[in-house]
Amino acid sequence: MTVNSLKILIGGVQLRDGVSTVADLLGKVFTRAGLFVLANERNYASTIYGAHQFDPIMVSDSPPLSHGDDRIDILLALEHDSNPDAPEQPNRDTILRHGKSLAPGGILIYDSSTGPVPESEFEAKGIRVFPLPARSVAQRELKKEVVKNTFIVGALFRLLEFDMDHRYFRILLEERFLRKSREMVDLNMEAARRGREAVEDVLAGRGWADSGHRLADVPPSEPVLFLSGTDALCLGAIQAGCRFYAGYPITPASGILEFMDRHLSKFGGRSLQGQNERESIRAALGAGMAGVRSMVGTSGPGLSLKVEEIGLSGAAEIPLVIVNAQRAGPSTGMPTKTEQGDLATTIHAGHGDFPRIVLAPSSLEESYSLIIEAFNLADKYQCPVFFLTDLTLAEVRKTIPESFFSHPVSVKIAPERAFGSNGYRRYAWTDSGISPLIVPGTPGAILKATGTEHDEDGFVTTDPPKRQAAMDKRMRKMETYLREDAREPQVVGDPTGKPVLVGWGSTGPVLLSARERLARDGTDVAVVHFTHLWPFPTQLALPVLKDAAVLIVCEQNYGGQFADILQAHCLLPTRRILKYNGRVFYVSEIVESVGWILEKGAETVRVGEMIPTPTAVHEGD
Amino acid sequence: MKVIDVSQTVMQVEKQTSIDKIWEENAVPKHRIQWCPGCGDFGVLAGLKMALTRLGREPHDIFPVGGIGCSGQIRNYLNGNALHGTHGGTLAYALGVRMANPDLVVIALAGDGDTFAIGVENFVHTCRRDPQVTLVVMNNGVYGLTKGQNSPTHGLGRDLGESSEESPPPFDPLRLALSAGATFVAQSFSGDVKHAAQVYVAALKHPGFAFINDFSPCVTYNKFNTYDWFKEHVEHVPEGHDPMSLGSAWSLLNEFEVRGRLPMGIIYSKPRPKRRFAPLPVRGENLNNADIRPLLQMFR
Ligand code: SF4
Repeated sequence: MTVNSLKILIGGVQLRDGVSTVADLLGKVFTRAGLFVLANERNYASTIYGAHQFDPIMVSDSPPLSHGDDRIDILLALEHDSNPDAPEQPNRDTILRHGKSLAPGGILIYDSSTGPVPESEFEAKGIRVFPLPARSVAQRELKKEVVKNTFIVGALFRLLEFDMDHRYFRILLEERFLRKSREMVDLNMEAARRGREAVEDVLAGRGWADSGHRLADVPPSEPVLFLSGTDALCLGAIQAGCRFYAGYPITPASGILEFMDRHLSKFGGRSLQGQNERESIRAALGAGMAGVRSMVGTSGPGLSLKVEEIGLSGAAEIPLVIVNAQRAGPSTGMPTKTEQGDLATTIHAGHGDFPRIVLAPSSLEESYSLIIEAFNLADKYQCPVFFLTDLTLAEVRKTIPESFFSHPVSVKIAPERAFGSNGYRRYAWTDSGISPLIVPGTPGAILKATGTEHDEDGFVTTDPPKRQAAMDKRMRKMETYLREDAREPQVVGDPTGKPVLVGWGSTGPVLLSARERLARDGTDVAVVHFTHLWPFPTQLALPVLKDAAVLIVCEQNYGGQFADILQAHCLLPTRRILKYNGRVFYVSEIVESVGWILEKGAETVRVGEMIPTPTAVHEGD
Repeated sequence: MKVIDVSQTVMQVEKQTSIDKIWEENAVPKHRIQWCPGCGDFGVLAGLKMALTRLGREPHDIFPVGGIGCSGQIRNYLNGNALHGTHGGTLAYALGVRMANPDLVVIALAGDGDTFAIGVENFVHTCRRDPQVTLVVMNNGVYGLTKGQNSPTHGLGRDLGESSEESPPPFDPLRLALSAGATFVAQSFSGDVKHAAQVYVAALKHPGFAFINDFSPCVTYNKFNTYDWFKEHVEHVPEGHDPMSLGSAWSLLNEFEVRGRLPMGIIYSKPRPKRRFAPLPVRGENLNNADIRPLLQMFR
């Protein structure tokens, strides 16, 4: 019997089978029961209806290091066949796709309303199969199809011997439905009861005492929350004083727009849905100009459209936070699949040279804490500050203690600096490169801002010495940043003389899991993870990396965009583990790839095909 | 910050003297004004100064946003704050400034290329959104700064013969504005500064988006639509015209077009009921006191 440690994959047809409903419900109930939930691999499709959707959820009694592997313990296949008379059952997509990931001793639950699926293959692996007529019971007996979801949840809870007194479940139902109707609560309770009965019938019929898996509640000692990475980012932005948000619908950044539309006004702010990507960023720059902490959110294609304005933010020195929730490119790419392919464009987008800062959180928690830093840096350095997340970080849902959000945050507000003796000069050429920034409307001060090259007062100039002084002043801000605000990478283990897994952004947790597993197998590696990507903190990175035996940069793009930057700045060679098929890295893939590199001398391993680029074995490898 | 509701400004005589002087002076010395002698943009600058003087505004109260092109330079010559961004973005920056701070007098100053070609998306949607922003388009039918290429309003009043995809006929920005839901549509001529200033005053008082199409001749690159040509073709909106009526606005445009005349004055002006907003909190104000705890409850 395994207790409090499992991964459940819920799969079905998007918008029809209730995958999201069931996943959200389970996340909430397990969280309330004091268990830790991590749902880090949400997979959905760009088409709204009809495509396959799945959502693996990890449940455990302590916070897991990462989402682990694609191995699952319970498969919840919510599909039914829309044509029950057809001899073939083509809609068994979830089972076809994910059945092979079921661990021995696992559980398969499927909706058998439209007929059974072959079980012998599963039984051979010791997997217990539970055919449950969820949809037909809901439709024919309970007269409401949607309660098939609660039927399934009731069945799952019975299997896991969880919430046997229906305490958690009833409270949740009452919260959702009681205001509308008592009947809905009763109907759902009844559906859950039918689900439990159906499981008991299978257990009795097959002569199984239990399912082999159990979840026991651990009543939490403090309030806990179940929320998404997008939620955490938005909460952080509001906490940081963001009072103007502008977005344009784009996956996977639309969630930010929805959150801000709903909540920003409660804090005296405004949220604008632009008519296009450019109107969004331009309005945000206008608000930033007017003195408001402003943010835009987008994904790759939207970033490409915003590029000209990023240059304006740099040249005219207008503070702005730009969230780029990356998805698989190029062009429209795979809008609903994750990738880290925009690092190069984020660092280089825009013509000419101008200062910019790029931060990348590695977790839901950092989506909250680091965005606060992003706003502080934007105000201080008066330049575009990129917040590079990705679909994984946007969609992750996780259990977090409420107290996490009550830690004091440092919201630094740029002090209003005194005017010089000859009045206010917006672009005064200071030693730090940082010029005094006032709020327009201040009596006695005139603020002229422009993206055209300008003198200290903001008037156009092409005079060579002035141009050079202006450019130097702006770029000097990045030297100041590197001195005062750059941060060293996070280091786990001792990199000296050892192979080092190097990562950035959402891949951080999985590298930590890989390190543990490699250690168990006798390979000692360190992990070095970067959150402050640009300007690249060479002076902080080099001491950490220079004595490593081999640097293995792991990232989700085709060529190794971060590895290129690291090589160029540290003048150290890198090996690369890359993945770009739209799915997250799994621990086993990293472990296997490290083997290819350390034992077979592969330079680059592209996960998925698992055919490493063959190269000669280097000395010392 | 001084807060004045434009619509309720009471002129103060003693203050007036000093304000006259403020707007008389430009932000830069004369030799730094780089418009061709006789350029229509001078008329717009003069008209704006008159209007701002009349309204009793001070330079720190105003926030002009300049477009790219000869006309956009006006932001540097007019005393006061200013933002100069990318080509076509003028109205979207103005929207953001205005949403952030309803106390600033936001004026968008751009050319016909900036507004009706590369920035037409913003023009259409600003008409719909109706922020309290005054837009003066210095319309001359050409791209002056890049030496005279045709803009979308090129060919006004001219017999163009056969048209082609490369050189289509001009379109009428007034009709576009009305179709897009603009609440204030007017036309002026920089050869008649006094009248233009009157129109600007009305526009600056309008509690929404006010669009003024100003005929502002390019003496260097448009040798057809000259001051003399405009003088022959402009005609004041008749006294009896009802600017509150959309139907009358369309009829007026049709009637003038049939006669080959260009209406000068306010063609349409009808404020839309709108929600009011306080200025958003700015840097330097205490943003530390945001209490996100109530928001967290939904995640429990
Ligand atoms: S080129 Fe035309 S628009 Fe430009 S300054 Fe000269 S006259 Fe004015």
